[in-house]
Amino acid sequence: MSNDTVEKQKVATVWQVAKAVMFAFMGIRKKSDLENDAATLKPTQLIVGGIIGGILFVISIMLLVRLVVS
Amino acid sequence: MAAVHGDAHGHEHDDHHPSGIMRWITTTNHKDIGTMYLWFSFAMFLTGGTLALGIRAELFQPGIQILQPELFNQFTTLHGLIMVFGAIMPAFVGFANWQVPLMIGAPDMAFARMNNWSFWLLIPAATLLVSSFFVPGGAAAGGWTFYPPLSTQGGLGVDLMIFAVHILGASSIMGSINIITTILNMRAPGMTLMKMPMFVWTWLITAYLLVLVMPVLAGTVTMLLTDRHFGTSFFNAAGGGDPVMFQHIFWFFGHPEVYIMILPSFGIVSEVIPTFSRKPLFGYSSMVYATASIAILSCVVWAHHMFTAGMPTVGQLFFMYATMLIAVPTGVKVFNWTATMWRGSMTFETPMLFAIGFIFLFVIGGFSGVICAIVPIDIQVQDTYYVIAHFHYVLVSGSLFALFAGAYYWIPKWTGRMYNETLGKTHFWLSMFFFNLTFFVQHFLGLAGMPRRIPDYNLQFADFNMISSIGAFGFGLTQLLFLYVMINCIRSGEKAPQKPWDGATTLEWTHLPTPAPYHSFEKPPVVQ
Repeated sequence: MSNDTVEKQKVATVWQVAKAVMFAFMGIRKKSDLENDAATLKPTQLIVGGIIGGILFVISIMLLVRLVVS
Repeated sequence: MAAVHGDAHGHEHDDHHPSGIMRWITTTNHKDIGTMYLWFSFAMFLTGGTLALGIRAELFQPGIQILQPELFNQFTTLHGLIMVFGAIMPAFVGFANWQVPLMIGAPDMAFARMNNWSFWLLIPAATLLVSSFFVPGGAAAGGWTFYPPLSTQGGLGVDLMIFAVHILGASSIMGSINIITTILNMRAPGMTLMKMPMFVWTWLITAYLLVLVMPVLAGTVTMLLTDRHFGTSFFNAAGGGDPVMFQHIFWFFGHPEVYIMILPSFGIVSEVIPTFSRKPLFGYSSMVYATASIAILSCVVWAHHMFTAGMPTVGQLFFMYATMLIAVPTGVKVFNWTATMWRGSMTFETPMLFAIGFIFLFVIGGFSGVICAIVPIDIQVQDTYYVIAHFHYVLVSGSLFALFAGAYYWIPKWTGRMYNETLGKTHFWLSMFFFNLTFFVQHFLGLAGMPRRIPDYNLQFADFNMISSIGAFGFGLTQLLFLYVMINCIRSGEKAPQKPWDGATTLEWTHLPTPAPYHSFEKPPVVQ
């Protein structure tokens, strides 16, 4: 049963990682959410998430710029 | 044999201190190395400062009085290089050497011998930079950014500068690998990453930035070197190269470099403000996140330094938007420092004064940075004194003031003696006054169109230049007062109490005697 819960948590982490990275980009995080992150997320997940987040950030600004100049 | 006598020998070895000069040359102790870094950087600060006073003396009046244009250009170039690579960066590494092991409960840095080597590499590099004034053709004169074609055309001085930058880069990379390894592997039991003091966090992130960008700088100067001597044409348009490519590569290093020089200041201020507000740091986790965010963003904004170099509108807008977004995490930090002070039991000892001065003036520098990020404005103020004013607000009242705050804050722990509070406060107020006298007026000069790196100017700029030069000499002399306060403290300061700052909560204050013993945390403390 407890193993199942752990499995479920692991599946749910993509969104969790995305949320943690998005908040990191703003530089804000609620303490309870942070503690939750620290307990469940692995550093590798955050690094991969951060790189993907960085690429998405660059792409989104590029799209915005294209929209502005078009 | 060694195994039989292992214990006794090991103990004997611990107590063995080489004395005299050999103690400093052979030391692997993080405190000794930290002290050497700090003295070295202060000596470089005075050297770079003397060059700055030469510049300001020439600019006191219109016309050429003291420095011929060639020598003036050498002064501006070496002032920048010495201050960035010789003063500010080594000073922060000195703080890291002293404080990181003490704050995470480690006995020393991870690679103690490499630590010694990182420091001693600085001496030949500094010697090369300073001695380049005396070689035929003089020192490098193309600005601290050493753009080609100026840097491909210069004399022997440029080669010495390239070699010096290589050595300094190697020293920085070794220093940062050491800091990363120490922080990740040598924390006391119970000190999780999210319990680390902010100063340690900011240095961890800074060290990663250094490992990322210093090789880029090394690559850039190597390409310059091969262009100069081995027939390549990386940056030579006549040979199919592109001088603008140099600017892209340089600023891919250069902009993160700006954050390398400011993130550890954020760390020091984040230690000082809570101590003297007697409250925990507001929004600790958001501070960590904001630091990481600033570091990531710093890698995608470099071309805002080259809006006038020729770039498609799409590129200008991209770098303008990305640059302006950095104001968000930086704003989070300023908000958190202010919120930490809110309703705190504040007292205003010298470290706190410098920390508050830092916040006040760094915000001015930050805002003028946002102004420079706006492309149409940047095209007007590019290469004017407005830019000079902007980055001195960030680097002098930002980095340097934070270094002063840190020095006054930790000197009792380092020496076991207190500095003279009245003199410390005098140092702060004189620095504050003369700094603003020097640099605030440069905003007006820049907006009126006075170009940087030129030894002469039109009569309309005369008054503000005179004010700025008076301020610069006042600021320079004030720093001799800092030297006096520190020497006075070390030699004859009052004995410091065990914990002179009652609001301090980090390990070096709570778990170690004052002064910190030569070998500390031989047994790691347990962090609750």
